Amino acid sequence: MASNLAIKTQGLTKQYGQALAVNGLDLEIAAGQFYGLLGPNGAGKSTTIHMLTTMTSATSGDAWIDGQAIADDPVAIRSTVGLVFQDSALDRTMSIDENLQFAAAMYNLNPQQADQRIEELLSVFSLQKQRHKKLLALSGGQRRAVDIARGVLHKPKVLFLDEPTIGLDLPNRRAIWRFVEQLRREEGMTVFLTTHYLEEAAACDQVDFIQQGQLQQGGSPKELTEQLGAYILEVDTVEPEVIKEKLSTKFGMPIQEDQQLSFKIEASDVDFQQLQYSLGDAITAMQWRKPNLNDVYLWTFCAPQQGDAS
Amino acid sequence: MSWRPVKAVVGREMSKLFRQRARLISSMVRPMIWLLVIGSGVGSMLPGQQQEGYLTFLVPGILAMTLLFASLLSALTLVYDKEFGVMRMMMIAPIAHYWIVLSKLIAATLTAMVQAILLLVLLLVLGLVSVKIAASLLLPAVLTAICCAAIGGLIAVWSKSIDNFAVIMNFFIFPVFFLSGALYPVSQLPEMFRYIVLVNPFSYGVDLLKHAVPNVSTDFSILTDIAVLVSFSTVAILIACWRFSRESVHEPLFHRATGKR
Repeated sequence: MASNLAIKTQGLTKQYGQALAVNGLDLEIAAGQFYGLLGPNGAGKSTTIHMLTTMTSATSGDAWIDGQAIADDPVAIRSTVGLVFQDSALDRTMSIDENLQFAAAMYNLNPQQADQRIEELLSVFSLQKQRHKKLLALSGGQRRAVDIARGVLHKPKVLFLDEPTIGLDLPNRRAIWRFVEQLRREEGMTVFLTTHYLEEAAACDQVDFIQQGQLQQGGSPKELTEQLGAYILEVDTVEPEVIKEKLSTKFGMPIQEDQQLSFKIEASDVDFQQLQYSLGDAITAMQWRKPNLNDVYLWTFCAPQQGDAS
Repeated sequence: MSWRPVKAVVGREMSKLFRQRARLISSMVRPMIWLLVIGSGVGSMLPGQQQEGYLTFLVPGILAMTLLFASLLSALTLVYDKEFGVMRMMMIAPIAHYWIVLSKLIAATLTAMVQAILLLVLLLVLGLVSVKIAASLLLPAVLTAICCAAIGGLIAVWSKSIDNFAVIMNFFIFPVFFLSGALYPVSQLPEMFRYIVLVNPFSYGVDLLKHAVPNVSTDFSILTDIAVLVSFSTVAILIACWRFSRESVHEPLFHRATGKR
């Protein structure tokens, strides 16, 4: 395995009874990269993380973290990785300090190292004054920040973030992403992210879309959005079938959500104002914009199949 | 393997124990009720000198009961931590998973010993035991506490939830306690129950504690008591560690927490 790879998997598979949660996953993630694994619920994202962090073993296939095969020495792998669970793993009856001191001791950090690191991490989130407060007394955002601090206490080489900002408001989400960016910049950490907030994944160096345990497509967010087309055209209409018939010959079948049709426009020279005029009263609203990762997601997982008539 | 993670798990349990003073105080209520209310009540039905003798007879049994309840409840934290997700903080740490069970059982033993020492102090104050007897009860109490922690560990690693643990505990704890010779001499039990006492490891802890109190009849030799307690505890702890290290046991922690794959 090339030494500059932080994560590599070959045919990684996890089967629960008859169900294939992850099916022959091949990944190569370079050291220091910000990587996103995206997909719908039940796609196999969390199972992949749990296999890579030795919380569950693979049914078949191999995986390496920082050049070490995970099956060879799971304990050593756990000292290399940090995992922030989707929901808190902290003890709510204990204070921030007690939780982090406990986690630090579990990682065999001596009390001086632990104190210094905890102080450093709490200062990033301006939580020094709350250090001795019980977790129950903190807001959701502050608790999440402590969870992330717990995940990086031991300065892991690879940090796994399983939907880290779920349920948080915008300022807290932004604070967490600033911190992750700082970790990458200052500590060279490789970050493996799963999220349903795709605008957050736009900051990734590389993303892969996964469904039913199999990779669908991947690349940098810029490449993926460019590949999708020049524009996304969204048309609100009371007569979706009429509009679909009129535009699908030119732009292909749209994605339909209730009375909104979404077309992928590959040509960059479409005269949208003329188009809007030609559609007349059949439309109630129309907008065109550059594609983003949400569009890539929709066109990956919700795209109309060939031969879809409606 | 560094001892720091083990110390951390044990320290967490001990700090919780000393923080919950009400739990500590209430843990003294049950044995005192047994000793003073049941002991005096049942004792009063006995003829003459046997009345006082029954209270002395009850002391090792009630001490054993305190160890049993304290250890089992402490082992419950294994299930509690699984249920509330805190266990994942330990599972992701770079230690072999069986160390988590071992640490929890060390904590359960220490918790039981703290409560046993508190009870002995109370008994000393009430004049029910002498300093010499209290001191000679300590070593047998340690062996009994380890055995009870091992029983708790076995139950905990097979329990999927706290409700599950409570059911199993009620199913186990009373037969284990009542069929141990803690409240009455084994020789006075019907023959069928005597066989159950023989296979109940807790009986040997009770018996070993009885050996430390003069003029209390015992059922087995000290050597038998120690041999059974050490063998049972070793096997039970090994089984608990093996079971907890199995992926099928801790894997649901991750799926249950996230409810997804």
